[in-house]
Amino acid sequence: MDQALPVASTATTRRMRKTLLGTVPVSSPLYQLHPVTRFITLVFLGVVSLFIDVPEINILLIVMVFIYLHWAKVDMSNLKIYLPLTITVAIFMFTVSIGFPSRLPGYHTFQFLGITFYFESLYWTFASYWRLMAMLIGTIQYFSTNRERETLVAIRTLKAPFVITYFFSLALRSAGMFLEDMRTIREAERARGLDETSLALRDRAKLYVMYMIPLFTLAIRRTDEISNALYARGYTPSGKLENGVHRSDYILTKYPIRRIDIIVISAMIITFITVIILRVQFGIFAVAQSPLRIFLLSLWS
Amino acid sequence: MTAVSIKDLGWKYSGRKHFAIEHVDLEIPENSFVSVVGPNEHGKTTLVSCIKGLIPNSFHGVWRGQVEIFGQDVRKMSTERLAADIGFVFADPEAQFTSMTVEEELVFGLENIGLPLNEIQERLNWVCDLTMIGNLLDKSPYEISGGQKQRVAIASVLAMRPRIIILDEPTSMLDPLGKDNIFQILTNIKKDTDLLVIVVEHNIEQIAPLSDLMVLMYDGNIAKAASPAEFFENSDFLLQHGIIPPQATTFVDRLKQQKLYDGTLPVGLEDAIDITSRVLRNHSTPKN
Amino acid sequence: MAAQATSVWTLEEGEVRKPGIVHIVALALFTGIGIVVGTFGSLAIPIGFVSAFWPGQAIQAVGSVWYGMWGGIAAFVFPLISNAMSGSAPLPVSLAYIPGNFVQGIAAGWVFRQFKLDPSLKTAKDWLGFTLVGILAANAFGAAWGTTVLRIFGLITPDAHLVAWVGWFLGNSVASWVLGVLLLKFISPLVVKTKAFCKGYWA
Repeated sequence: MDQALPVASTATTRRMRKTLLGTVPVSSPLYQLHPVTRFITLVFLGVVSLFIDVPEINILLIVMVFIYLHWAKVDMSNLKIYLPLTITVAIFMFTVSIGFPSRLPGYHTFQFLGITFYFESLYWTFASYWRLMAMLIGTIQYFSTNRERETLVAIRTLKAPFVITYFFSLALRSAGMFLEDMRTIREAERARGLDETSLALRDRAKLYVMYMIPLFTLAIRRTDEISNALYARGYTPSGKLENGVHRSDYILTKYPIRRIDIIVISAMIITFITVIILRVQFGIFAVAQSPLRIFLLSLWS
Repeated sequence: MTAVSIKDLGWKYSGRKHFAIEHVDLEIPENSFVSVVGPNEHGKTTLVSCIKGLIPNSFHGVWRGQVEIFGQDVRKMSTERLAADIGFVFADPEAQFTSMTVEEELVFGLENIGLPLNEIQERLNWVCDLTMIGNLLDKSPYEISGGQKQRVAIASVLAMRPRIIILDEPTSMLDPLGKDNIFQILTNIKKDTDLLVIVVEHNIEQIAPLSDLMVLMYDGNIAKAASPAEFFENSDFLLQHGIIPPQATTFVDRLKQQKLYDGTLPVGLEDAIDITSRVLRNHSTPKN
Repeated sequence: MAAQATSVWTLEEGEVRKPGIVHIVALALFTGIGIVVGTFGSLAIPIGFVSAFWPGQAIQAVGSVWYGMWGGIAAFVFPLISNAMSGSAPLPVSLAYIPGNFVQGIAAGWVFRQFKLDPSLKTAKDWLGFTLVGILAANAFGAAWGTTVLRIFGLITPDAHLVAWVGWFLGNSVASWVLGVLLLKFISPLVVKTKAFCKGYWA
């Protein structure tokens, strides 16, 4: 899950690095940033939109993330898997909003195909959808551009307790091992003549459920093996030695924090604090301030 | 000096009816090479796990007797001390990988015992040269060949520079070339270091010539513990206990049974050729 | 049969069980499996925030049956990551789901220990306990909590609360019952022999 591998591109062959959810060229400028900076970006994008209801700003944030991904030379084709989800979330939210709208006195209404639409309720759903998408794209960009090791380095840099960092690393690795085992089992079944494409959806679901038995058996055996290996290599959950001193952290020395990291992290912290103050103290970024909303309401008058 | 002292050792795994090993007594001197042999499920891995302290610290069960490492009770040694003093290489290298890159794998144990960063770097370079894995550092330990995996596993233990290194069937999952590589590394360890090496191994042909002491585990007990020459003295006894002696040894043993030779039994081919040449010289009839 | 069922949870004479590295490893491995199953479930048949097929709850329930509180912790940790990877919920929403996810997991662990049910589902009582508490009650609570979170975050309207609850409850329950039964029936006999299996809540 962690290695650099050559991937053929349209013109040349570039060395690509496999990330948690995609591939990024080894030469990507993204790797100029320390893993902790990238991790803080995840938290920043995941939380800042909570304080912003104005859809235009959230759409702008999404555009900025796409520009960032383009700058980082991320293979965007991997992001296609999220397309059905973004559409179904929209369908779910708007169906619920239309079918079960909030009906407060003074709301503007209009009729379409015999259905009464409540503008404020509908616009709130529209704003909530883009707020949600802005938060999600922050998460997706992180998993598309980072490896397990970088996540581990980031949380170690933030001085998280050793047991948590190791647990996190092992959990991500075990997800990889689980998928690898699954691939092996599927290949073995195909080698014995199984054609999944000929199966009905129900049979395919049944097949996947049945895969779980050997996969779990393998994982459970691994639990004993890994715990023995950890014990044999002197692992203690506290990460402390007999004399109370903390274990060494060699891997962190491979990732120095540079000036650019300080600048980017500072910018995110300042922006975040500013957004909170503007929202809480001055009510800025409330949905009522959305230019589109103001324009649409002006059509009523 | 005695490195490992085992007195009346017994161990029963939780939920099992019988003891996996019982009444085991053994003294192992430092700076020696010990092979533990015997059929499967007769207590070899349990014995070495007791020496490493994996039993009883990492398993549930009933313990009897005592194991001392350089005079210290293994049950009273800290995890960190055990890791620093005794290295353990598992049969399945993947079973011992704890990290996401080879480099992290090699330094994981060194970090755990709290070595300074410059010493970690120095040991990393040293062990990469010794085991020829410097080109693998960036790779995932799961995505290299079987032989490379076992070399990484051994390297990660050697990097700790323990006083004792235990290898539990290190060649069982390798192809012939991979096996030869591991035996070459074992030969280098024996030649270049003063470690106590304990190897659980089925490949008698290759392990016997390296051994100073051979221990036969059978039915949870030590059936025989002796130097290779003495160990192979009674072929019938060994065959009854699931051990096939090296062909060189069997051949010279036949000569012995036919009263053509009465010295110690060899374990390597070179010695067998020497003995055979001598026997032929002694028994050739001069043509006159 | 009853004596056999009791023996799974009862300590042998002189048996000492303490939490250790193996439990942290079990927690991590279960979290990893949960990440895969949860992500797959969310991406497979998404209908917005409420998946029509989310077998992740089976991992939550079975984890707490086998590994007690460690399974309970995995039950709320893995959705944080699987929701992020599948894009089905952002971090703040996932954080708010934590109590619901914890109950979705630990309910099964509690009922098996409390009533000495056999994890291999050998008697009608075992089946009933798993189905009623481990699946139905756990998901009723989890769905109620989850849909309340969606409402607080303004992602569903108050009027849609009940519909979302029904969708969530059914989407979790059906898939999780099928997968949970398979795992308990076929893998429990192996798990109870391992050192990571928890007779109590922590060891």
